[in-house]
Amino acid sequence: MSSDPYNARVREFFAAPVHAGSLAGGVTVLADDQGVRVALSARVADGRIAALRFRAWGCPHLVAAVEWVCRHYEGEPLEALEKFPTARIMEDLAVPIEKTGRILVVEDAIHSLGRSLTH
Amino acid sequence: MAEQMIYLDYAASTPVDARVLDRMREVAEKNCANPSSTHAAGREAQAIIADAAAQLGSLLKVDPATLVWTSGATESDNLAIAGGARYRAHRGKHIVTMKTEHKAVTDVFETLAKEGFDVTWVEAEPDGRLSPETFAAALRDDTQFASIMFVNNETGVIQDIETLGLVCREHDVLFHVDGAQAVGKLPIDLSKLPVDLLSLTGHKFYGPKGIGALYIADRPGCHVEPILFGGGQQRRLRPGTLPTDLVAGLGMAAEVAAARIESDLEHLRGMRRVLWDGIRDIDGVVLNGDPDGFPGILNVSVEDIEGESLLLALEPLQVATGSACNSRTQEPSYVLRALGLSDAQAQSAIRFSVGRPTTRDEVEFAAGHYRDAVARLRELAPQAAA
Repeated sequence: MSSDPYNARVREFFAAPVHAGSLAGGVTVLADDQGVRVALSARVADGRIAALRFRAWGCPHLVAAVEWVCRHYEGEPLEALEKFPTARIMEDLAVPIEKTGRILVVEDAIHSLGRSLTH
Repeated sequence: MAEQMIYLDYAASTPVDARVLDRMREVAEKNCANPSSTHAAGREAQAIIADAAAQLGSLLKVDPATLVWTSGATESDNLAIAGGARYRAHRGKHIVTMKTEHKAVTDVFETLAKEGFDVTWVEAEPDGRLSPETFAAALRDDTQFASIMFVNNETGVIQDIETLGLVCREHDVLFHVDGAQAVGKLPIDLSKLPVDLLSLTGHKFYGPKGIGALYIADRPGCHVEPILFGGGQQRRLRPGTLPTDLVAGLGMAAEVAAARIESDLEHLRGMRRVLWDGIRDIDGVVLNGDPDGFPGILNVSVEDIEGESLLLALEPLQVATGSACNSRTQEPSYVLRALGLSDAQAQSAIRFSVGRPTTRDEVEFAAGHYRDAVARLRELAPQAAA
């Protein structure tokens, strides 16, 4: 059993988060809880999420999780933001159970983004 | 160099010196006897151990007969503290230590507290040093034992062992020093220092892991009760078959250290200076502890940076967040918290520790990489909510 606290995907997403940044003119939301901060910035076209960017302050699992959700939601219809695949993220990134709260902050950010984009 | 691991964690452990390795191999190949055996091979093993004790005794300026071999500093600390406090318990059960000690010390004190000992935890000054006045004020008529570390493993802060030891002598308190980070790295003359018990381990100064020693001063009232039982070895203070090759390795490490301790220190000072000069102007960076502490350790915090991400971003540097920081629970270092750092400051702390093999190229790369990592993580972070 590896003692490395990060799996290959966390290392990849943390080292090269291709969705890091913000979108000028996009809709931006911020979630700040559990000692971490997540900002999401989105641009919509034809009812779909055309572009999604993030900024994050937290542990590598959090950064990787936000990169994961950006890759997951980009190109999806807005309704997709109503669902959040917590279990898949936890499994894909091998997030320690004690960090679940941080992933829920990402979920809060996604739901907040969905509300902002639909109102 | 970028993807090559750069080891800057010499306070955690050091590579085995080539001469140490040669000596261990020589002993392991030539002598498999139990040093307690009375036949010729056993006596030869006993002579090897005596030679190692002489080498270590020479480093510390003590009679080799005052040294007890153990498995390392943790066992030495346990034997000294539990054994020393219990030995003197009939005189009083008040014992004293610092909040910033290593877990190998604090956990023993907590265990003794459960046995009915009364523990006073003295606090360090903001620079990590213990004021002799604070220490003296903590001692009472029933104080029988005190333990203070020589060099702090997280911050490199050096305590004034001579003055603290004199305070103990004035109060007839048995004085233990955890010397794990000091032995073989700082000149220590136990023939002059008022120290009763001193713990050390081989792997912190280029010796093997799994071997350490406890110095027990030869003076009235200075003794420990054993914590292990099962044989008559080492005057029954620490029974068990001695690992002749490891003991020989520790002896050789002591001999090597004695020959180069000043040049090693000069080298460490130079490496730490290059490292600190390379990062000290980063906005929000602070040096934790005493700037004039042990030059092998540089502990720094930086504002607005999450510590676990910083540690990963610093790869391929092999550095530490402090021995108490658990990457899973993200508990900030209790040592740094005791110095007054906030949770956020303590959580972003990185301990760089340089060693004999450290090169200028390595520390220059480390400084540049640290700068880059901090800049990248700051760029990645969102603004805090208003």
